[in-house]
Amino acid sequence: MSRLRQIWRALGAGTRVAVMIALQYRASFVGEAAMALLWIFWMVVPLFVVFRYTASGIDGWTYDEALLVVGCFITLQGILEAFIDPNLRAVVEHVRQGTLDFVLLKPIDAQILVSVQRTAPTKIPHMLAGVGLLVVASARLAHPPGPAQVLLAVLLLLAGAAILHSLWTLVVSTSFWFVRVDNLSYLLGSVLDAGRWPVGFFQGAVRFVLTFILPVGLMTTWPALALRGLISPAAALGALGLAAAFALVARAVWTFALRHYSSASS
Amino acid sequence: MSALRHAVRAWPTLLRIGVAEMVAYRAEIFIWFLTATMPLIMMLVWDRVAAGGPVGRFDQPGFARYFVATLVVRQLTSSWLVWEMNEQIRSGSLSPALLKPMHPLVLPAAENIAALPFRAAMLLPLVAVIWLWRPEMRWGVAAADLPLLVVAVFLAWLLNYLTQVCFAALAFWLQQSSGLFMVWFGVWVLLSGYAFPLELMPPALLAAVRWLPFRAMLGVPVEIASGLSSGLGALAAVALQLVWCAAVGLLARAMWRAGVRRYEAYGA
Repeated sequence: MSRLRQIWRALGAGTRVAVMIALQYRASFVGEAAMALLWIFWMVVPLFVVFRYTASGIDGWTYDEALLVVGCFITLQGILEAFIDPNLRAVVEHVRQGTLDFVLLKPIDAQILVSVQRTAPTKIPHMLAGVGLLVVASARLAHPPGPAQVLLAVLLLLAGAAILHSLWTLVVSTSFWFVRVDNLSYLLGSVLDAGRWPVGFFQGAVRFVLTFILPVGLMTTWPALALRGLISPAAALGALGLAAAFALVARAVWTFALRHYSSASS
Repeated sequence: MSALRHAVRAWPTLLRIGVAEMVAYRAEIFIWFLTATMPLIMMLVWDRVAAGGPVGRFDQPGFARYFVATLVVRQLTSSWLVWEMNEQIRSGSLSPALLKPMHPLVLPAAENIAALPFRAAMLLPLVAVIWLWRPEMRWGVAAADLPLLVVAVFLAWLLNYLTQVCFAALAFWLQQSSGLFMVWFGVWVLLSGYAFPLELMPPALLAAVRWLPFRAMLGVPVEIASGLSSGLGALAAVALQLVWCAAVGLLARAMWRAGVRRYEAYGA
C-alpha cells in the first residue's frame, strides 16, 4: 500500500512542478493558446475540402460526425505533446548522457518516475482546443450525446492515451540499444496522422494496421462512434482490454530493455 | 567572381561528399523518408470520395496519379537546411564553413542534391504497389512537356532551398528558428497541393492561392507531372516559379548577409 502512496505522491509532485512552470511563462501560455485555435482551423480545412465533394457523406460519416474524429485527434495529440512525449524524450536524453543511473537509483518504479517527470504545460491549450472542438461538433449533431455516451467516449479517449503512452514507451525502450531514436517518434507521429480520418475511410491492409497494430482507429474513431451512440459496451470493454494488453507488452519490453542497460559507468 | 569559379570547380567533389554522407546516414534518411506519409493518407481518403463518381477532373486513378506525383516531387525537392543551420549556428560549428573559400551554403546544397535521387528511388516499391492497386493509373505527361517538367522540379527545389535559407538566417537572431519554420510548413501543406489538388479548393480561395509561393514549391511540377497542366498554362506556371525564385533569392541573400555580420559580431 505504501508503494501506491509513493507513486501517488510522485504524481502529485510532478503535477505541482508542471503548474509552477506554466505560471512562470504566462505570456507563452497565451501565445500557445492562440496557436492552438489556429491549429484547429487548420486541421479542419482538409476535412472541409473533402466534404465539399460528397453530399451524402463518406462511409456513413457526415461532415459534423467526422469533426468529432478530428476533435478526438487534436485532444489526443495535445495529451501526447503535453504529458507523454516530453517525458519519454527525456529518457532518450538520459540514456545518451548516462544520467539514467540517477533515475534508476531512486526508490520508486523507474517507468513511473520517468513518465511523470516532465510535462509541457504550454501544450495543454492544444488539448483543451480539441475538447472544445468535440463539444462544438457534438452540439451540431442531429442527436447530441447523453451523459452515458460522453462517459464512454472519455473512457475510450483515456484508453487511447494509455495506448499512446505504451507505443512511446516501446520506441524509447529501443534507445537502450540504438541511442538515437528521436526520428522514430516523428515516424510514429506521422503514421498517427491517419487518425484525423474515420478509420472506415481506409480499406484492406491499411485498415487492418490502423485498427490492430497501430490502433489509431481505436484511439480517434471509436470515441467519436461512442459520442454518436454507435458503440456497444462490449466493444468498449474490448478496447479497454486492448489498451491493457498494450500496457503489459510495453511494461515487459521496458523491463527487458532495462536489464540490458549497461549504465554510463560500465 | 572567383568564388563562383571555385564553387563550380569543387562541385563534383561536393556531390561525392553528399553521396558519402547519404550512405553513412542511410537508416536515418530512410526514417525521414517514411515520415512523408501524408500524401498516401490523402490519396486513400480521396479514393473513397471518388468511389461515388469523379471529383472535378479526378477519378480514382486520377487521384492515384496526382498523389504519386506529389510523393515523388516532394522527395525530389525537399531540403533540410533549416535544421542543419539551426544546429550549426547555435553550436558555432558554422565558423569553419565561413572560413572556407566557398560560400557556406554551397556544400549543403550539394549534399541536398546528391541525396535526392536516392530518396526518389526509395519510392519505387511504393509506386509499384500503388500501380498494382490502381492499374488504370497511367503516365500523364506529354513528351513535349517533359523538359518543362524537369525545369519545374528544379525550380521547386531551388525555391524550397531559398526559403529555408531565409528561415535558417532567422536563427542568427532567434537562436532557434525551426519552430517558426514548422508554422510555415503547416501553411505549406494546405496551400501547396500537398494535401489536396489545389483546383479542388473553393474557387474564390484558389484565385488568391495560385499566385502564392507555396504552389510554386510543389503544385506546379506536380500538376505538370500528372497531366493537369500542359503547354502554355504550364509555361506560365513555370514563369511564376522563376519570379518567386528571384524574389525569395534576393531576400535570402540580404538576410544571410545581415545574419552572418551579426554572427561575427558576437565573436564565435
